[in-house]
Amino acid sequence: MKEWNEYPDGWVWLGQILLVGAGIAAVVLLVRLLWRVATPYLAERPALDRPLGIAGGVVAIIGALLPWVTFVLNDGPYPDKATLQFFDSPWALSGFRLHTLIIGVLAIAVVFLPLPRRRVLRALGWGSIGIALVNILFPIIDGGGFGAITSDGESFAFGGIATLIAAVLLVFAAKAGGVLEPIPHWKSAVPTLVAYAVLVVSFVVLLLVVAMLLNSGGQGGVGNPYAGPIFLSLLAFLAGVLGALHAIGLTTWISALSDKHKWFSVIVLLVVALALPFTEAGTDYWMTTAANIGVYAATAIGLNIVVGLAGLLDLGYVAFLGIGAFVAANFSGAAAAAVGIELPFVVAALIAAVVAGIFGAVVGSPTLRVRGDYLAIVTLAFGEIFKKAAQNNIGGLTGGANAIPNVPPVSAFGQPFDQPLTIGSVELPSGVLYYVLIIVLVALVMVVFANLKNARIGRAWIAIREDEDAARAMGIKTGQAKILAFLIGAMLAGLAGAVFAHKTSTVAYDSFQFIESVTLLAAVILGGMGSIPGAVLGAALLLVLPEKLREFADYRLMLFGLALVLIMRFRPQGLVPDRHRRAELANEGAEGVPIEELNVHDDTPGDSKAVTR
Amino acid sequence: MTASRPPVLAANSVSMVFGGLTALSNVSLRLQEGQILGLIGPNGAGKTTFFNCLTGLYSPTTGNVELRGRVLPKDPAAVTVAGVARTFQNIRLFPSMTSLENVLVGRHSRMKQGPIASLFHGPAYRKGEQDARDRSLELLEFVGLASVHDELARNLPYGDQRRLEIARALATDPSVLLLDEPTAGMNPQETEATRQLIFAIRETGVAVVVIEHDTKFIFSLCDHVSVLVQGQLLVEGTPEVVRGDPRVIEAYLGKPPDEVQAEVRGYAEEVGHGGPDATQVMEPVRDVDGGSEGGNR
Repeated sequence: MKEWNEYPDGWVWLGQILLVGAGIAAVVLLVRLLWRVATPYLAERPALDRPLGIAGGVVAIIGALLPWVTFVLNDGPYPDKATLQFFDSPWALSGFRLHTLIIGVLAIAVVFLPLPRRRVLRALGWGSIGIALVNILFPIIDGGGFGAITSDGESFAFGGIATLIAAVLLVFAAKAGGVLEPIPHWKSAVPTLVAYAVLVVSFVVLLLVVAMLLNSGGQGGVGNPYAGPIFLSLLAFLAGVLGALHAIGLTTWISALSDKHKWFSVIVLLVVALALPFTEAGTDYWMTTAANIGVYAATAIGLNIVVGLAGLLDLGYVAFLGIGAFVAANFSGAAAAAVGIELPFVVAALIAAVVAGIFGAVVGSPTLRVRGDYLAIVTLAFGEIFKKAAQNNIGGLTGGANAIPNVPPVSAFGQPFDQPLTIGSVELPSGVLYYVLIIVLVALVMVVFANLKNARIGRAWIAIREDEDAARAMGIKTGQAKILAFLIGAMLAGLAGAVFAHKTSTVAYDSFQFIESVTLLAAVILGGMGSIPGAVLGAALLLVLPEKLREFADYRLMLFGLALVLIMRFRPQGLVPDRHRRAELANEGAEGVPIEELNVHDDTPGDSKAVTR
Repeated sequence: MTASRPPVLAANSVSMVFGGLTALSNVSLRLQEGQILGLIGPNGAGKTTFFNCLTGLYSPTTGNVELRGRVLPKDPAAVTVAGVARTFQNIRLFPSMTSLENVLVGRHSRMKQGPIASLFHGPAYRKGEQDARDRSLELLEFVGLASVHDELARNLPYGDQRRLEIARALATDPSVLLLDEPTAGMNPQETEATRQLIFAIRETGVAVVVIEHDTKFIFSLCDHVSVLVQGQLLVEGTPEVVRGDPRVIEAYLGKPPDEVQAEVRGYAEEVGHGGPDATQVMEPVRDVDGGSEGGNR
């Protein structure tokens, strides 16, 4: 076997990239052609779903047992026994090969069970496409070329290609008969205790999955080039499994139960979130990352009021986070603070929220005059004004290029929040207290959002978003309502900013640039506008992905952009869409591509047309 | 009608000039308590412009509009609060909200909860919310849409959308309801149901103004009919008087000003009286009217 680093750099590398690009284009064209031919053919042959499903499952199992890569990497076998020869140790698979094996077994099993099998097969198929693509592309692009996943003359490795074929078979199995089965409806009238048990179990599973996801492949970085692919591959696997669970109606049932027992769910979710430090993800690193996610999530939820509910595009939103951070820093007693007094954190945070809210109302007032694109430009300009003002230390409040360093940590009961915490014999990592503080903050912001959304004012915002003139004709004072949206959104960002200031301990203008506003907006849109879980998921993905993709530092923004484009192409309503938005975008979004191709299906009455199309 | 009683809604010599175009000149109108008033006229006569003046969407160049003797404010929201509600010629529901939510938005101005109360969802808040919900369901029941209260407005059939718009307008507790072509695109059965619905609305003590192309519908519905032609009030009176007036026949049904308008009107008449295809969305008719009258929206 050749060693990985025998492959040259530079032009050869560029050539390989081009080659890979051409290869991908060719494959895409081929798949499209196949798709065109196969879809109508399969639509008329519903009996083919079983044989195709079984074939897909069998090929997937074979793929899992075959070797995937022909090389041994410098740092050991690529990711996890991927280079094992067939039958070397077939029953000791782990990592993505284990996932592939599980998908194969599940696919065969579901064919014989009284379940909506085409739906399940479709989800499993797309999941294994993800797994196969990640684990084919990484060895190719990282220097192995096509030889890495086929044969280099001495050894062979067709696991990836076999799995890709299996995945296509599974997806085609779902095409047999045309229309997908309806998602079964589980009755949500179960005894309260059963409902509680189900909810506890599902949230605990969720916690373990999150911990597993965070920990998968370890911390990204130069020392660990595999973190990215391992994480992405696991993500694809989990998406496939989640899709399968959705297909059999389980997720819908659980969310109906949690809707019914709202308060219980909220409490369990809080407890579960607070339990994260006790899992394998309870490291300094992940506590810090999780706290960052929390700050972004809280801010994104605030932005969700402005963009998701009231439909006002704000491109300078991060300025409010900055205003909150600078206000809190100035009242923190830091040496560089312009104000000499040190206020308790809670008071400083409230002042930060109020100041940010005032600025929000000021920025919001032009909304009375301008709409749509013009408003976006006004907010964009405000974001730039804030950045420049902070950079030039206007009023001596921001420290300019020197920033405001050494903001003391928040402390309570003599325990500074940035130190490790020992409870009894359990030592928790440093940053755990900030994590807890931010969980509380996110919970608070969620309550604010949910309560406003389902109230008179929330309905007024949505009405304005849908048709401003009609809203006015219904007696809504649209000007007031819009300014209020800006004001409340900005207050929530200001609050998050206060936590941010203490947590990062240095508040500098360059933390609040245009790209941050865009990231926040992307979090909102990616997760699903107007939806709380969406905003949290969006913020989490946008912060975890870069951490995991550190190895691809040069390309991660490119990959990231590509991922966003793909998601917007195939799921414009966002990952966890709000009901209203889903209705709006689910039909027209998948234009050209029938909606059943999407990984997770929607059940709004409107898209029955799209399904039969 | 009894001339001694003061009218609910009075338009006093309303004129509306867009640049050089006089859309309305000196139009006056009196709407009595419990009356159903029909406003008819050929396309481009200024009916919708007049509606927009009544609801504060436009402020008249000269003249004013009074509700129970008080001049109406210029802001549409304030006009609604004062008690004038409307529907739109081309349906303008909130498409991605449910039927119930649409009607709840109509309750907006009659609810008290501010943002602070909304934050805490206290007992008073919840009672207000429940009352609004009850009232909205009642209104949906009234227009016959209770069974689809959880359906998104965009998914309702066309006729139901028109009725939902009426329910939403009624949710503002109006003294006067303005209906802009409530039967456009409806088949004869639906048109009849709408006629009964408007009578039922009158029973609840709301005075109604209706714009309509369908003269048969207007003459069988209204107590009083006003005819607008080229921005001017041509004739007004009881349906019998208006129907018999030779000027109306000439202006509205007779000699056309030009060939194009005749064609357009002929089409409107045909569809307005309802054929088998009339349930479908009547884009051409609404386009013609919207283009000529609503162009300044």
